[in-house]
Amino acid sequence: MISVIPRTLAPKVKLDLNNLSPEQVALEIKNLNLYYGDKQALQNISMSIPKGQVTAFIGPSGCGKSTLLRCINRMNDLVDICKVEGEINLHGENIYGKHVDVAALRRQVGMVFQRPNPFPKTIYENVVYGLRIMGENNRRVLNEAAEKSLRSAALWNEVKDRLHDSALGLSGGQQQRLVIARAIAIQPEVLLLDEPTSALDPISTLTIEELINDLKKQFTVVIVTHNMQQAARVSDQTAFMYMGELIEYSDTNTLFTTPAKKKTEDYITGRYG
Amino acid sequence: MNSWFKSGSPWVWLSAGGVSISLISVLGLLWLIASRGLSYFWPADIYQFETVNEKGQAVTVIGEIYDRETLPTKQLSHLNLGLDPNKETIERILVKTGNRELVNLDFRWLLLPLINKTSKPEELVVVERRTNGNFYGYVDGIILDGQLEGLEKMAELVERVDVFQDEMAELQKVDIGAINYQIERLRLKKRKHILDETLTVEREKEIDHQVASYNADYQILETQLMAIRDKVSRDQLVVRAMGGEIIEINFEDILKITYNNKLSVFGRASVFIQQIGSFLVDDPREANTEGGVFPAIFGTVLMVLLMTVIVSPLGVVAAIYLHEYAGKNVLTKLLRIAVINLAGVPSIVYGVFGLGFFVYMVGGSLDQLFYAETLPSPTFGTPGVMWSALTLAILTLPVVIVSTEEGLSRIPSEMRHGSLALGATKAETLWRIILPIASPAIMTGIILAIARAAGEVAPLMLVGVVKMAPNLPLDGNFPFLHLDRKFMHLGFHIYDVGFQSPNVEAARPLVFATAFLLVTIIVSLNMTAVTIRNRLREKYRMLEH
Repeated sequence: MISVIPRTLAPKVKLDLNNLSPEQVALEIKNLNLYYGDKQALQNISMSIPKGQVTAFIGPSGCGKSTLLRCINRMNDLVDICKVEGEINLHGENIYGKHVDVAALRRQVGMVFQRPNPFPKTIYENVVYGLRIMGENNRRVLNEAAEKSLRSAALWNEVKDRLHDSALGLSGGQQQRLVIARAIAIQPEVLLLDEPTSALDPISTLTIEELINDLKKQFTVVIVTHNMQQAARVSDQTAFMYMGELIEYSDTNTLFTTPAKKKTEDYITGRYG
Repeated sequence: MNSWFKSGSPWVWLSAGGVSISLISVLGLLWLIASRGLSYFWPADIYQFETVNEKGQAVTVIGEIYDRETLPTKQLSHLNLGLDPNKETIERILVKTGNRELVNLDFRWLLLPLINKTSKPEELVVVERRTNGNFYGYVDGIILDGQLEGLEKMAELVERVDVFQDEMAELQKVDIGAINYQIERLRLKKRKHILDETLTVEREKEIDHQVASYNADYQILETQLMAIRDKVSRDQLVVRAMGGEIIEINFEDILKITYNNKLSVFGRASVFIQQIGSFLVDDPREANTEGGVFPAIFGTVLMVLLMTVIVSPLGVVAAIYLHEYAGKNVLTKLLRIAVINLAGVPSIVYGVFGLGFFVYMVGGSLDQLFYAETLPSPTFGTPGVMWSALTLAILTLPVVIVSTEEGLSRIPSEMRHGSLALGATKAETLWRIILPIASPAIMTGIILAIARAAGEVAPLMLVGVVKMAPNLPLDGNFPFLHLDRKFMHLGFHIYDVGFQSPNVEAARPLVFATAFLLVTIIVSLNMTAVTIRNRLREKYRMLEH
């Protein structure tokens, strides 16, 4: 009944998402409501995101999947009219609590955006930016971190001879991998990817997808995508959202082969979206 | 025809015409001031005219042709000069005759029909002098130490005097100036002790002792100066003016003796370059109508640089607050409108504000607090270069704020988000990412500010510019940069020379030359800033999405 045949990149682990042990949970979202002014953008969302796995959010445009992602590292704080109710727990602590240091939170929860956004600096300075912000100025530490992150982002071989050239000279796909390297250089626990391949060509997309598969060994990855094949290929869990509501959340194979809800089925079979 | 209109060609022609008119007016302006200004430095031919005066007597006139004009014969008919009544117009020339010790006027009109003979004798000479302006005539001889001699040593003697004059200037301005400065400081120190009631006998003794030692130094220098002065006035040049009068010009007055008519084109070119050089580095003479404009160049540049140093951080910080931190509400909007409107306030109003607020209020209070010993003569409570720079900084503040804000708003939000998502705070993001990217826009604001400030004269007349400043604001005496001093400014210099000098006619070429120089300086300041901006642009080139 499905039109998408998942091309799995790694064996997928099947977890019981409703009964995860505390050690397995990276993030726990509880009764999350979000309002832009008078308009409610997220409706009472509750879910647990497991550690060391790739979780995808899918859904039609405007369903709130990016908004939910941005809640996880509080990027929505930048929107003046945005109001959040509910909890997101990281290490059992609510990130919307009163005494949370947002900058420290964002060091734990890194983020990569839709369009590659390297800073107009050198490749090297882009990668070590987060470390410099943390006050690290030791040349040796920075060099090591830069190499490690660039290797993890599968970019090292392409840029090792021009680390001190402008990052803007890289291609779109390389820029996106650079941005990923920049995000993982500060060793976050969770990596949020907001449609990371939507501005890239198919070859670059493939490289990034393979990279995501590698990244989950070290990080918990949450990815938003409007591309269902991509979600099927790279994720272990998939959450389908519609009109600000979490319709269905289960392991990727189940969601794509035997969706429990009619709306999910309609969406993945291409009836709307 | 109709299709021609529809094709859009008329629009193209119209817009191209607009561009051409702007271009032509800019080039025309530059050409006019450059040609008029630079011709002042070119050594002109010296003519000898044989003509008749009003009484019909034959006279000889020697000088440079300055101007030419045609006027109706009728206008001169009452003078009974025996002109041809059938001719409707008559041409006349304006001749610069110099020789101020003989005639009061530097210039003389000659009617062309009355000139019987025109010649350019090679022996004619123009003597440029430190006082009394140029002398035109023939050189008859040299009195060397009281003995009449030939002309062989003329160049050598001019040089000798130059050396002594430089020595004297050095002695007076640097050495004696420093001593006077120190003595004045000691006097103030003593007075401060008296005011604070801390003057002990030892202190007074100490100060008096120092003053005495400075005075002794001063006496030595004074003797040296007098010795040089004696040497410098040893020799005289004997010259013959156009009326046959024999005059002795002391060499100490002579700057340069040039046989203009003998010079080849190359010789003239070298004199031309020398003249430009001395215009740039010399002090003005004769109530600014002669000599160079160095203090004015220095004052203009220093004031503009000070202004830039003040306005850039202030404008940038204000723009950052308005754009990044201020809430997006009615108050911010009002504030922004107010800032933009500030740019429309007439500059003289800023001058009045500067005088009232900076000079009298701030400066007056500073004097009360820190310079009480000099009162009643003010230190900062009087117009000066710092107040001028501050006034112009306020004047150009809106320009910097507006362009910086524009630059900030052009930065894509992805840059901010990228940095924030890496755990940077807003301030770190601003400092490390936003400001560097916005720096070309900031430079644009600074360029506009410099362009506006360097050309402003009106407010400066109230807050610090003077016709003649005795000292530069920068010298060898601690603290080296004297922000309380008054200064000279090219823009004001133009006004002063052109309209306030005793000899407006003679100074007119100087007006053009100074105007050309002012334009050159502003353009070069701007070009420097533009170069910096282009470098920054290249460095922080934004992603081309």
